[in-house]
Amino acid sequence: MTAVIRTQSLSKWYGNVLGLSDVTLEIDAGITGLLGPNGAGKSTFLKLIAGQIKPSIGKVTIFDEPIWNNVGTFARLGFCPEQDSFYEDMTGWEFLTRLLSLYLFSPAEIRAKAERALDFVELTKDKDRLIRGYSRGMRQRLKVAQALAHDPQIIILDEPLNGLDPLGKRKVIRIIKDFKDAGKTVIVSSHVLPEIEALTRSIILLHQGKILAQGDIHFIRDLIDKHPHKISVMCSDTRGLAARLVGEPSVLNIQFGPAPDTIVFETRDRDAVYGLLPRLVADNVIDVEEITSPDDNLQAVFDYLTGK
Amino acid sequence: MPIAERGYAHWDGAFVERRFPWWPITRLGIRLAFKRKFFKPLFAISLAPAVFFLAGIYMSERIEDFQFMFRGRNGNRLLGVDPAFFKTYFTFDTVLFLMVMLMVLAGAGLISDDLKFNSLQLYFSRPLRKRDYWLGKMATVSFFLLIVTLVPGLLFILFKIIFSGSFKFLTTYPWIPLSVVGYSLLVTLFFAFYTLLISSLSKNRRYVSILLFLVYVFSDVFFGIFYGIFHEPAFCLLSIKCDLQQVGAFIFRVRPQYDVPWIYSVLVLTAICSVSGFVLKRKIRGVEVIQ
Amino acid sequence: MPRNALRSVFSFFFFIGRKARKTRVFFLISGLPVLVALVVQASRLFAAGAPVDGPSLFNNVIMAFELQFLILVLALFYGTSIVSEELEGKTLTYLTTRPVDKTAIILGKYASYGLFLLIMLAASVVLSFIVLNIERLADPDAWMAMLGGLGVLALGLLAYLAFFTLVGAFLKKSVLFGLFFSFGWENVVQYFPGSTQKFTLMHYLKSLLPAASTGSPGKLSFLMVGQQPSSPGVSIATLLALTAVFLAAACLIFSRKEYIFEE
Repeated sequence: MTAVIRTQSLSKWYGNVLGLSDVTLEIDAGITGLLGPNGAGKSTFLKLIAGQIKPSIGKVTIFDEPIWNNVGTFARLGFCPEQDSFYEDMTGWEFLTRLLSLYLFSPAEIRAKAERALDFVELTKDKDRLIRGYSRGMRQRLKVAQALAHDPQIIILDEPLNGLDPLGKRKVIRIIKDFKDAGKTVIVSSHVLPEIEALTRSIILLHQGKILAQGDIHFIRDLIDKHPHKISVMCSDTRGLAARLVGEPSVLNIQFGPAPDTIVFETRDRDAVYGLLPRLVADNVIDVEEITSPDDNLQAVFDYLTGK
Repeated sequence: MPIAERGYAHWDGAFVERRFPWWPITRLGIRLAFKRKFFKPLFAISLAPAVFFLAGIYMSERIEDFQFMFRGRNGNRLLGVDPAFFKTYFTFDTVLFLMVMLMVLAGAGLISDDLKFNSLQLYFSRPLRKRDYWLGKMATVSFFLLIVTLVPGLLFILFKIIFSGSFKFLTTYPWIPLSVVGYSLLVTLFFAFYTLLISSLSKNRRYVSILLFLVYVFSDVFFGIFYGIFHEPAFCLLSIKCDLQQVGAFIFRVRPQYDVPWIYSVLVLTAICSVSGFVLKRKIRGVEVIQ
Repeated sequence: MPRNALRSVFSFFFFIGRKARKTRVFFLISGLPVLVALVVQASRLFAAGAPVDGPSLFNNVIMAFELQFLILVLALFYGTSIVSEELEGKTLTYLTTRPVDKTAIILGKYASYGLFLLIMLAASVVLSFIVLNIERLADPDAWMAMLGGLGVLALGLLAYLAFFTLVGAFLKKSVLFGLFFSFGWENVVQYFPGSTQKFTLMHYLKSLLPAASTGSPGKLSFLMVGQQPSSPGVSIATLLALTAVFLAAACLIFSRKEYIFEE
């Protein structure tokens, strides 16, 4: 299969600040998740491939054509920016139809495409309300709608799930999946692993402007699983629980505290431990009040990959 | 764990008041103003008239040395340091214009930026009252305006005493320090209200900057037009600059330029401040009402 | 650049501009000369004796105000808005991700704002003229003179709008520069002797005023202080050429420059 997007030695500086460093990759059709903590260079990468900023070094091609100032390519591209900004005095309908008019469609086509996009993001009944009165979720969905209304072949979404409630997230995830099912290419960024997991198996892991890893999400999951995982349990009988955990081969160490009635332990096999704990509760062996994981999974993986 | 039904509960704890809760707002405003491009040069330029007038005070005490500059005219009459000298400085077109430019750079965004970024609710989620917010913002503008008015005014008096080596100036005009303080506070208070009023009218700082300038200049232009047509001095009340000059003349006990009671100018300025207070009261809310 | 792209950008911003609050505010501001005209005419009706006759007031005061202040203010705000408001509102992305040439964005927006401003200006001038020349409305010469003045103002407005479009595309904080340019450079250097005054746009606009060619005192006489007018042909050609140069430079900068939103 021919890659839809290619970058070669792509680097970007903002003055003295490095935004992206030496990124060479190929992105195929389907959903690709761009994962990384805040400031990793995700937005810079997306803006570069969307032709919104110029590479300092390297090049980006979309369908084998350079993207910077190549206006013709933009008809095949939909971009949903991160920032929550709109022409606030417009209604959702006006916003979409006016933007569609920039593609030089006929009025009938504009109406049909706007209606379809609004229907797609479930905003049809709110289309005549001013955008300034929209909720966060509606604004986010309108942003997605403007990116896909002209029926592009590639859609680039910068943190589309940011700030949405679970229902809103589900809606946007469904929209993205539907788009992919239509055979299109989607690139979506997030700093939250489960969000990307819900969308795709193909991910690019970015950290400090560099690609840390690229491939199937199971690779990351495996890394997370291999990496010692910290679990904190608050219960009535910490010593009893500790005695049970000592017998588990995957448990590496156990600490009492820091809070009273709390133990913190590290394991290499989360699934085994998460299987054991409910059994202990069910058998009335321990009375668990709280189970938490002080580790941020993704950050732990980043630390591991960067050798920290 | 039982899940309790919770409604909104009013906080009824004791309000521990800081002595100057508005000060962090002022400090931030001043710091941000200095970070703005072109502000430092403008601030330096706005002090230039004061330096010029200070040089005049020095020359007035060494008038014989500088007599050559006056080509036979009486240097004492031209450079006499008297109440008119102070009135001239404080109501000098250039000084007032530079004050407006300072407000354009340092004051335009004071409220409009807060409205744009929805930060009012952040302010009011702290132990801060509306009046502390107002005070903090007004103090930011006042800081810069007082440096251009009060500080030079007091320095003029001080240097007049130092250069002359006597207190004769103060004994002749004992009310001058009070006039300097009074007029500085008046012009500062007025411009602070004026800036906040216009800054609260829009979320767009650029728009506010132009309006700050426009209202001041156009009020004067329209006074000029009407005065030119009707030759009626009462039209000076239309001009913010003339109103400040009329009040300045009264405070420094100098004959006003236009034959209109100074109290009318005070009323005009007070009316603008009242409108400002009214608008600010409506605009400054912790919760934005979407219409 | 396809004409259709230009037209679609034009209609996009004409639509937005029609709904914007700033349009209403600037319509009101540009209506101030009409208010002056009404006050003067009312005073002639209700008070004995007219202080100044209407036509003279229109020629000397209203036109001078429109030329020296109004077109500068309107052009400053709208011209710098063309790029700045997209950056401040972070809406630029919605335009630059469309298959529309960046030149079309600048020119389309310039055309749309230019049209708005011309409507504001024409309304202001024509209404003031009607109010102040109510007894001379049947005089075609008066109308021709007014239309000539309006033409000069329109030319000036479009030239300043182009200049401020360039300033807005180039500078992030363009207002302070714009204010100094408008009310410092343009309002001061125009009175300088010799060739210096030719470095202002105002010089060429003033050269087109009837007083410049006829030398008749009274009509805009104070504007003509120290004026060493250029010929009308040179003035028109210079203004048009400068407008084109400013716009071309604005388009070039906008196409090449990378705009990063402030966090």
